[in-house]
Amino acid sequence: MNVIQSKIGWFIRHVRREWQLYLMLAPTVIWFILFLYKPMYGLQIAFKDYSIFRGIEGSSWVGFEHFYTLFGNDQFIRAIWNTLIISSLSLLFGFPIPILLALMFNEILNQTFKRTAQTIVYLPHFISTVIIAGIVITAFSPSSGIVNQFLVWLGMEPIYFLTKPEWFRPIFIGSGIWQEAGFGSIVFLAAMAGVNPSLYESAVVDGASRWQMMWKITIPCILPTILIMLIIRIGNLLEVGFELIILLYQPATYSTADVISTFIYRQGLIGAQYDLAAAAGLFNAVVAFILVMTANTISKHYSRTSLW
Amino acid sequence: MRLKTLSLAIMVAAGLASTTPVFADAHSSTKVTDKPLELSIHFHTKKYVYDDDWLVEKEAAKRTGVSLKNIASMATTNSQEAFNLLIASGDLPDIVGGASMKENVNQYGPEGAFAPLNDLIEKHAPNMKEYFDANPAIKAAISAADGQMYYIPYLPDGKYGRAYFIRTDWLKKLKLEVPNNIDELYEVLVAFRDLDPNGNGKKDEIPYFNRNWEEMLRLVVFWDGRTSGSDTRHDFHVHEGEVRHGYVGEGYKNGIRHIAKWYKEKLIDPEIFTRGSRSREYLLSEDLGGVTHDWFASTTGYNVSMAKKVPGFELKAFAPPESISGKRIEEHRRTPVKPEGWAITAANKNPIETIKYFDFYFSEEGRRLANFGIEGTHYDMVDGNPIFKPEVLTSDKPINAQMWSVGAQVPRGFRQDYAYEKQWSNKFALEGIALYDQGDYLIPQFLGVAFNAEEKKVFDKYWATAQNYMLEKQQAWILGSSDVDKDWDAYIAQLDRMGYPKVIEVMQSAHDRQYGKK
Amino acid sequence: MSGVKLDKIVKRYGNIEVVHGIDLEVQSQEFVVLVGPSGCGKSTTLRMVAGLEEISGGTLTIEDKVVNNVAPKDRDVAMVFQNYALYPHLNVYENMAFGLRIRKESKESIDKQVTEVAETLGLTDYLERRPADLSGGQRQRVAMGRAIVRHPKVFLFDEPLSNLDAKLRTQMRAEIKRLHKRLGVTSLYVTHDQVEAMTLADRIVVMANGRIEQVGTPMDLFNNPKNIFVASFIGSPPMNQIDAEIDVVEGKLFAKFGDHRLALADSKELGTHCQGHKVVLGIRPEHILTNAQAEADPETATNAIPVELDLIETLGSEALLHTMVMDRPFVVKAETHGDIAHLEKTSAFHFKPSMISLFDKETGDAIDHPAKA
Repeated sequence: MNVIQSKIGWFIRHVRREWQLYLMLAPTVIWFILFLYKPMYGLQIAFKDYSIFRGIEGSSWVGFEHFYTLFGNDQFIRAIWNTLIISSLSLLFGFPIPILLALMFNEILNQTFKRTAQTIVYLPHFISTVIIAGIVITAFSPSSGIVNQFLVWLGMEPIYFLTKPEWFRPIFIGSGIWQEAGFGSIVFLAAMAGVNPSLYESAVVDGASRWQMMWKITIPCILPTILIMLIIRIGNLLEVGFELIILLYQPATYSTADVISTFIYRQGLIGAQYDLAAAAGLFNAVVAFILVMTANTISKHYSRTSLW
Repeated sequence: MRLKTLSLAIMVAAGLASTTPVFADAHSSTKVTDKPLELSIHFHTKKYVYDDDWLVEKEAAKRTGVSLKNIASMATTNSQEAFNLLIASGDLPDIVGGASMKENVNQYGPEGAFAPLNDLIEKHAPNMKEYFDANPAIKAAISAADGQMYYIPYLPDGKYGRAYFIRTDWLKKLKLEVPNNIDELYEVLVAFRDLDPNGNGKKDEIPYFNRNWEEMLRLVVFWDGRTSGSDTRHDFHVHEGEVRHGYVGEGYKNGIRHIAKWYKEKLIDPEIFTRGSRSREYLLSEDLGGVTHDWFASTTGYNVSMAKKVPGFELKAFAPPESISGKRIEEHRRTPVKPEGWAITAANKNPIETIKYFDFYFSEEGRRLANFGIEGTHYDMVDGNPIFKPEVLTSDKPINAQMWSVGAQVPRGFRQDYAYEKQWSNKFALEGIALYDQGDYLIPQFLGVAFNAEEKKVFDKYWATAQNYMLEKQQAWILGSSDVDKDWDAYIAQLDRMGYPKVIEVMQSAHDRQYGKK
Repeated sequence: MSGVKLDKIVKRYGNIEVVHGIDLEVQSQEFVVLVGPSGCGKSTTLRMVAGLEEISGGTLTIEDKVVNNVAPKDRDVAMVFQNYALYPHLNVYENMAFGLRIRKESKESIDKQVTEVAETLGLTDYLERRPADLSGGQRQRVAMGRAIVRHPKVFLFDEPLSNLDAKLRTQMRAEIKRLHKRLGVTSLYVTHDQVEAMTLADRIVVMANGRIEQVGTPMDLFNNPKNIFVASFIGSPPMNQIDAEIDVVEGKLFAKFGDHRLALADSKELGTHCQGHKVVLGIRPEHILTNAQAEADPETATNAIPVELDLIETLGSEALLHTMVMDRPFVVKAETHGDIAHLEKTSAFHFKPSMISLFDKETGDAIDHPAKA
């Protein structure tokens, strides 16, 4: 008892002495409690027959019924696969490109050219998804789209890309890369800016070429950043740019385009099924948690870089 | 209407009021209460919320003694979200109204959030009672699974929504007649495709187009198929008391086969799936589109707006061509009852005054106020009819927008009067409507069902998935990536596995409870 | 044979010239230190020698070969950077082997050299560690090791010790000196710390504003500064300065300031016609005598100014006596002989005329500098 009392006493004195620090910490803690921890309480509706009017407390428990409903549905299983495939391919193709861009920008010596080039590749990031979808639809239009005009110029038949399931993933992933690669390169450029310039000077004196400096200095030095970004991306593997899919897909392309979020969205259109959506969300979160933990552990083990 | 008013006036004048006391009383005074009563209202639509400063609201307050104080906010444009927030907060106002009421009140009403209205209407709302007694189907359509009405709907007037339109100037140019049946329509479309009606020397005409690809599906009606029984897409329909879905019918299969053929032959816009909502504007202004199926008012408007750009432009409504069995059907019509309206919450301490207030808008006086705005400001009475003032009709602002801005024509529970719209419809639209009126092509609407909890569970579980599957196959057939005749048996079998029969079963049981067995 | 020869080396950034034609010859195996305040152009000069900065004008020769347009890697120089420039992702061994690997030397040869140098520097036990796991001194050693393994013609040091704490700096200073003795490689060393310069250099180059002020051995610079700048830069604490006027009394030279007059030694440059000439009188803190010492010497007994001490800083065997003379700080370094009580009683500073340096007030140049003779 005395131990506890003395600990409490110590804590009170400690807070009184360092109150400015705790005050600075407070907004973040409050934000977390209000917007992340409190809503967690609502997760239980995944196991309830939820009615907004009855509230979380008043709704009855249904156990794993929503999970049975989800996993008993072939379209949901298909959506999981589609999500994983689209995410993995985005990761595979989309992840290295910002790094390559950053490396290329880093090698540009002319500042004016560099800034212009950077602005041009950052620009798509600031365009709303609706406009992006419009651009994609226009670009791939069979009659007037630039892509098909090129195909016709090559002597090929135009293709109605957006109704072909086999074309959906390349188009979606490609447009995603086009939109985000430039902006994604900023974090790597920042990491490169943090590399001590004397490392390069030292290498110059040692006789390293630009190519060798890129491989032996730049890339190893930004590797921790790359790994952190990779871990975050892996954690988001089940999150796919939902709005763009909604805008681009058709029933004809559901077989490759329908992802978990769009599936839930359509389910939700028919009777607001918040409980079912919460169950799917919980599933997403659990999978994401496992993925992040795994990626982090692997990274920690092999490269000493980790999120925590 | 005019006649009825007249007869009523005669009755009152003749001192026969005493034989129908309730009836007469309600009409003689619109005062709900002598002591001014303020009720709170959460009224949210996509574009606006209830405004205490609306002229119509002020006028209604003057005449009834009841004024409404809005508590809804424009923080979201999503009415469903606004409603959810309100319900989840547990702090209910006296009245809830605006968009997407029906499904919400029919779910949360029986759970205790909203007051059942049947009894209140019966006792205190003579105008509404009269209306619902005369329109039992409407009453059935808005009732919840427990048989109670929980909201007073917005009741649109005017039957006609979409119609078939054709470039009659192209027909004249190619010396063709307006197509009377599906074979003639086919020939006309082929001619539009091949004979260069726009005369630019290029084969760039799009014979048939729609703003939404879903609208194109209605072509199956020409092969005696069905797409939807209501103004919601892919909805059920009722055939001789039996709830059915169009997408499992023989006529649908037949129709899809032909749509696929037409699509392949480029009679249907090859980009119909992605061109989107601006396609009508684009295809008409570029002088490319030939035939479409679209709304009367907006489509006929192109005759005016294109007159300069495309000389000789004439886009006229034509009667639905005869189907293979010789029927002329316009599948789409305006719904007679909307999910919008208003409801009394369980928290309301003055339900009787509130229902009387609601009833005011069903009186002739209240209905006129809700339709036309303020007498002397927006309209004048000419020969006993409200006629919009010239400055209202000639304003730059569309009439409906003018009305919304003063609180008329907003989706409170009221009966719309088509006379309001008729006064500002263009002559092409009126001409087309007359044509459709003459032929009587409309078919009965399916006004929806209210599920009980058990039925809802079954429906929610199976329907989204089954509908998904239907749409996937549908597009695959139209795009030619698979063949409807080859797939059909497997398609039906798959729908069986996906629980489609169970969905039909609960639809039927809900329907029978609501509208009565036939 | 000259190690490195700078002939009228100029550096310009756009229109701004920062190094104004430097001439310097570093003998083979010589250890030359460039010293000067920050911004004096010493680092730029070093970087031009390394090839990290382009040379805007003049000729640079390394071992009699003009290298102005030779790539850094072909100049056969090795550089040690202020912040060590160690690759964080490589361990000590790999860091030291980096330059050799770039040069595609054989594995055996790399291994032999790295092991050898590591042994010399006492790094053998740390070869597997990464820089993050090393102390500052160890990192500095690795940085030097990386230069040494290359066996270059010239070592270039760019303030290599300035990131270390004082104690470690002294220790590493000695270590660098020893290494140089053993390896005998021509070295060019940049620092802003005159103590480092004095202790390490065979010859010191004092730079200011992109020019060389003076070149010479440490003692030469200490004893015969060419101008006020060098005089005040070399030596710790710096030379005291007093603004004064020449006063000629009966053919003898005096420096007059305020109410004081100090006798000066005979001058070759100054004559009786110099009456009233404005000079700066410079005297090193070590060269002032306090009361007790002066009484014995008739030459200094009266050649004194009265003072009141502000502060005494005790260093141990010595103490620093602070006061103000003519509104400028004036410091005297005196021996304590184990007790400061006698210093506290100091009431006058005595000047030995031969120890007084004179500088022209206007040009700052030393009067009677031996080089002028």
